[in-house]
Amino acid sequence: MGELSVIDGGPTDDALLAGLAVGDQEAAVMFVRRYQRRVFGLAYSMTSDASVAEELAQEALMRVWRHAPVFDHRRGSVASWVLTITRNLTIDSLRMRRATPTDPDDFAAWAMISLEHNPEDAVQREDVRAVVRAGLSTLPVEQRRAVVLAAVYGRTAQEISEQEEIPLGTAKTRIRTGLIRLRGAIEHARVIDEER
Amino acid sequence: MMEHPPHSEYSENLVELALGILTGRARAATLAHVDACPPCAQELEQLARTADAVVGLAPECDPPVGFEVRASTRMRLAVDGNPTESSRADSDPADGDRRRGPLLRPPRSTRWPQAAAAAVAALVVGLFVGWAIGSPSGSRRPAQSESPVTMAALEEHGESVGRVVTYGGVTPWMLVTLTDSSVHGELRCQVITDNGTTHAIGTFSATHGYASWDAPLGVAPQDVRRAEVVRSNGSVIATASLR
Repeated sequence: MGELSVIDGGPTDDALLAGLAVGDQEAAVMFVRRYQRRVFGLAYSMTSDASVAEELAQEALMRVWRHAPVFDHRRGSVASWVLTITRNLTIDSLRMRRATPTDPDDFAAWAMISLEHNPEDAVQREDVRAVVRAGLSTLPVEQRRAVVLAAVYGRTAQEISEQEEIPLGTAKTRIRTGLIRLRGAIEHARVIDEER
Repeated sequence: MMEHPPHSEYSENLVELALGILTGRARAATLAHVDACPPCAQELEQLARTADAVVGLAPECDPPVGFEVRASTRMRLAVDGNPTESSRADSDPADGDRRRGPLLRPPRSTRWPQAAAAAVAALVVGLFVGWAIGSPSGSRRPAQSESPVTMAALEEHGESVGRVVTYGGVTPWMLVTLTDSSVHGELRCQVITDNGTTHAIGTFSATHGYASWDAPLGVAPQDVRRAEVVRSNGSVIATASLR
């Protein structure tokens, strides 16, 4: 069992994925251990259904395993890739089953647990997720909701317009303004950190 | 050389492309523009990273008991030689329909009874760890004699609609997975042993052709000649020959 006990401080994500790509069983075990909470957490936070979330999380990890040889690290981190696969599967599942997804406000509320009041403080602890979380908290509610609907649930501007009962132009503005402001908040926090 | 800023007329489309929600001609036109415009490509990359970061905010959550074992086992079974699952695709599933590629297929059902999870975990952990540590480097298909696992395709009218896996050991178990069947509703699983006796294993539900179910086998795996998935009226839907 000792060989399989390494989780934190072990191989990098890229190394684990490389192991998956060549069929390394130990890498597969470590990869599952490292990502199961995030993958399941994303699926569950979108569906609020534990059994469906498990189905999706299992399938997502299988797809990661299948596609590990074609992962391109230049296009982003392993974590982003894994979560994007999970998100896409969950969106497809919600649409196929015509299921009601979790309310975006609930997702945002969960996402902002452990909220940092000051983005700069978050950067100091080198916690990227805390920076994003803090940045999201600075958005007006309607923009935050639009960003979550688009980024997490894959809703188009037209769909957001219909769901929120707002003009299409307003939906587009909320999405665009929200995402650009979020990016700005994250960048601002990083600049502040670099100046310290 | 100083580059110009991103083109403002593409600002809205770049945001929606980064979020994976831009469709149709606007998407095609924006992608074509980005390919030829480094500042807009950089803008897209930054926006996409921001969008990905929002997805990454999803709270972590402990999955049901046995999740890790089930996930690892699925990978192991795929490596062991299931021709469907062991095939590696040459496209990136993260592309989906969001930024570049086609829609992903709907997920396959992998429902497992929670009550059985801990027992399955105990059984399969030993199996997996033994395999993981004991397999020689580079060996991806252990001989049957080295493994207490037997797999067979479930066939319906000559077409593969899933698989049956039996696990030997102290407490034999079996796993039934339907992936491409047309059935829906409650089903029964039974096995026929060498002496012709039929043993009922249990019942499970399929949802639009998808199901994954496990149960104690009740008989020695080496005695099982075939497994059958049966409707509640007794008609056999699919058969797996385990010999």
